[in-house]
Amino acid sequence: MPNRPAVTQQERRKLSVGPLSTGDKWFFRTTSIASNFAFVLVALILVFLFAKAWPALQQQGPAFIFGNTWDVESDPPVMQLGPMIWGSLQVAFLGILIATPMAISAAYAIVFMLPSRLSKIATTLIDLLAALPSVVIGLWGLLSFAPVAANWAKILNQTLGFIPLFEVTGEEPTYIDSPFIAGWIVAVMIVPIITSVTREIFSQTDSGLINGALALGGSRFSVFSRVILPTSAPGIVGGILLGLGRAIGETVAILYVLQLTFDINWYQILEPHGGAVASWILSRFGEATEKEFEGLMAAGLVIFIVTLIINGIANVIVSRSAGRSR
Amino acid sequence: MSKVQDAASSLSTENVSVWFGERQVLQDVSLTFPANKVTALIGPSGCGKSTFLRTLNRMHELIPSAGLAGSVLLDGQDIYDPKMNAVDVRIKIGMVFQKPNPFPTMSIRENVISGLKLSGRKNNDLDELVETSLRRASIWNEVKDRLNDQALSLSGGQQQRLCIARSLAMDPRVLLMDEPCSALDPGSTRRIEETIQELSDSMTIVIVTHNMQQAQRVSDQTAFFLADDNVPGGVVEFGETEQVFNQPIDTRTNDYVNGHFG
Amino acid sequence: MSSQVQKRQPWLNHGLAGNLDILAGSVVPPALAILISILMGLDFSIGLLGVFLPLQLISVCVLGMKRQGARGVKDGLLVLFVIFFSATVLVLLVSVLVSVVIQGSAAMSPHFIYQNNKYVSTTTSLEYGGVGHAILGTLMIVAMTTLAAVPLGIAMAVYLTQSSSKLTGMVRTVTQALSGLPSVVAGLFILSFMGFANLERSGFTGALALFPLMLPTVARVAEEALRLVPSDLRLAALALGAPNYRAFFQVILPAAKSGIVTALLLGLARVVGETAPLILTINANNSTNLNPFSGGIATLPTFVYGFLGSLYDTSQARAWGAALVLLAVVGILFGLARIIGRTKNSSPKKIKKANNV
Repeated sequence: MPNRPAVTQQERRKLSVGPLSTGDKWFFRTTSIASNFAFVLVALILVFLFAKAWPALQQQGPAFIFGNTWDVESDPPVMQLGPMIWGSLQVAFLGILIATPMAISAAYAIVFMLPSRLSKIATTLIDLLAALPSVVIGLWGLLSFAPVAANWAKILNQTLGFIPLFEVTGEEPTYIDSPFIAGWIVAVMIVPIITSVTREIFSQTDSGLINGALALGGSRFSVFSRVILPTSAPGIVGGILLGLGRAIGETVAILYVLQLTFDINWYQILEPHGGAVASWILSRFGEATEKEFEGLMAAGLVIFIVTLIINGIANVIVSRSAGRSR
Repeated sequence: MSKVQDAASSLSTENVSVWFGERQVLQDVSLTFPANKVTALIGPSGCGKSTFLRTLNRMHELIPSAGLAGSVLLDGQDIYDPKMNAVDVRIKIGMVFQKPNPFPTMSIRENVISGLKLSGRKNNDLDELVETSLRRASIWNEVKDRLNDQALSLSGGQQQRLCIARSLAMDPRVLLMDEPCSALDPGSTRRIEETIQELSDSMTIVIVTHNMQQAQRVSDQTAFFLADDNVPGGVVEFGETEQVFNQPIDTRTNDYVNGHFG
Repeated sequence: MSSQVQKRQPWLNHGLAGNLDILAGSVVPPALAILISILMGLDFSIGLLGVFLPLQLISVCVLGMKRQGARGVKDGLLVLFVIFFSATVLVLLVSVLVSVVIQGSAAMSPHFIYQNNKYVSTTTSLEYGGVGHAILGTLMIVAMTTLAAVPLGIAMAVYLTQSSSKLTGMVRTVTQALSGLPSVVAGLFILSFMGFANLERSGFTGALALFPLMLPTVARVAEEALRLVPSDLRLAALALGAPNYRAFFQVILPAAKSGIVTALLLGLARVVGETAPLILTINANNSTNLNPFSGGIATLPTFVYGFLGSLYDTSQARAWGAALVLLAVVGILFGLARIIGRTKNSSPKKIKKANNV
């Protein structure tokens, strides 16, 4: 056995990466303060929302979420968000149902079908759609799109009306202001998010896997369904969740195309009865009394917490799957 | 045994020239790969060996600007004939890649039969097919008790043998191998080289390799590719492995196999 | 020996029979669909979905089966549905743009840009009134927000890229959480704050409400821009003896210039169209107000919102006009951001072009 020199225990020196001058000290201090500000801001939002919302929450109790009456005339006022929460979920779910096939298709076309010049143009168009202000989409939705969508709703009702989903009550149904139409508007708003995430995930698919699948005799469909989609699925789910978060917070775009009623409309999406918490807040706050105002604050708090959780989960999923296939 | 031998095919190319976009990378390659023989393609990096290999199973055309002239004949039939379908060609001519690429979302067993699912082929006895394929790839004993484990739980060498098993499950007549051992340790390399020799009993094999000793160990014939800057590559010498390495005709072949460059 | 062989692509040659098949499959369904729609008097979208789509479906299945069996059918259907759904997205986008442009042009005129709406009622003709006050209001409010959000956002980006304490991961998470903040919640937050600080509604409170929305966008894009600067530059500056802050201001920041500008532009594009926070925190107004700290003030998005629900043609036209102006502003910001971003040409989001699967 060769003679090895004895390993002496040396003292490990501390290598510091500190400020190199007073200018540096201020530099680091400023940037630290700035970034701490992010925490401060989130905390502030929670604090101020909670401060105003607490009285209402205290008074209404759990019924705030689950009850279905909103009566500000009575004393004490009864404020319960049930139908609005259900409506928000309903419209968001419809939006996702409509948007997801469109988004995955667009992402597939951009990454796997179009030549690179057209791909870049298509990506720019999707980003442009994302930049459109929601009030402009709301305007288009109400004045241009609603009549067309109402026509589709009418045909759905006439052909498939036996399904309870598409049933409509009343003699002369108008279909306008229904969750169906609101769902379409929400879909237009969330397609860009889902497309961007899916596009990113698709383009990071390991080309070794795709080549391997093709060499085994895979064709376009089988490679997509058996290799690309399974490896991309978690990331796509993350993208859909991001879309969900956006859909729940959507206010102005659907305010005028959805009739907000406190009669819970469980599943008749062609009926002009729906709910959306964010739109409800906006529609009521103008003439709200102090107490109703507190109730609306509480509603805002609910939206905030829900979107925080959804976006949090979504971001974890997306960053994990985007990093995985590197 | 003879029934399995009938399943091999002869592959040949006639005046194959290959383009990437406007750049011609190969010129006039005419080679013959007889049934049940192992042919090695050797040459320095970047001279078009892997590109050539990809023209043999119609993978080259997946690149948008690809171009090809000449014909590739499988048992006398041009695989680029309009009546031939690229997918059918790839079922008959399999390929193993340099970097092992088992499908991560599938188990070992699912990986082996993935080719069937991908190509829409049916098979009545999947279990037997799985065992046969894994045996032929010399990996059955190591995985027979954990067929449902994730494919990525295997080591690099095992993953590559799994990929070989996966290609074998399709019962190809020709197997193309693109530097299959260059990412592996010497132990795995040795095992795969043994597998190649066993497999040549039942199929024709074309293997691209950087490793000249490997070429001498496994192949019956060898083709030496060479390319210059801006000049399309081509085959400098092609013949029995014994002759190409020990009595090369061309001086360039002599220089390469004796390590003067490359 | 010079190459006299021509480059060919034999896989694109489908043969005569193949080409005829493809031709038939592409021409027959639309022709039939148009014929049937005219004969039956169907309207456009019904004809499209109810007649053309099924016909094209059948054609794809038949062709696919004929050429490649079951696998061909699946491939053909995949391509068909991808094209169909992608086209739907395109149609929706184009519909929005075209509607705004066409309807908005009706109200458009030079005076629309600079007049205010002070003396305009629902019956006033479109020759009077405009969005001048709204444009001014938007400019003022967004400028105030920018003054706070951009330096802070850049500072956060600097912290995220220059420091590496355990806190940076959390800061990034929090910034991400902020970027998902619903706009109505931002408005409610400031509204509550206003109650406690005894602030009246004004342009300033509107700017406050937009601040939490602009900050995360600026921070995120600025961080990406700073990340793109090769670390060698910073190390070289430090090796020359520069303190960190000099290295930053004199080397890194100029190198990331276009990315920072992009961050600013994208942040602006984000908030210039936000409505809900403003509805809650300003008093929308019809006259011009030059004081951002008191009084009612008009903005482009609240202008559109205000006239959205109206049943009067002129009011609707005004809404479209304002929407057109807003769209133009967003479009210009977006376009500028793209152009400036491209001159640097090192976008990390470059599309990795996969094979033609």
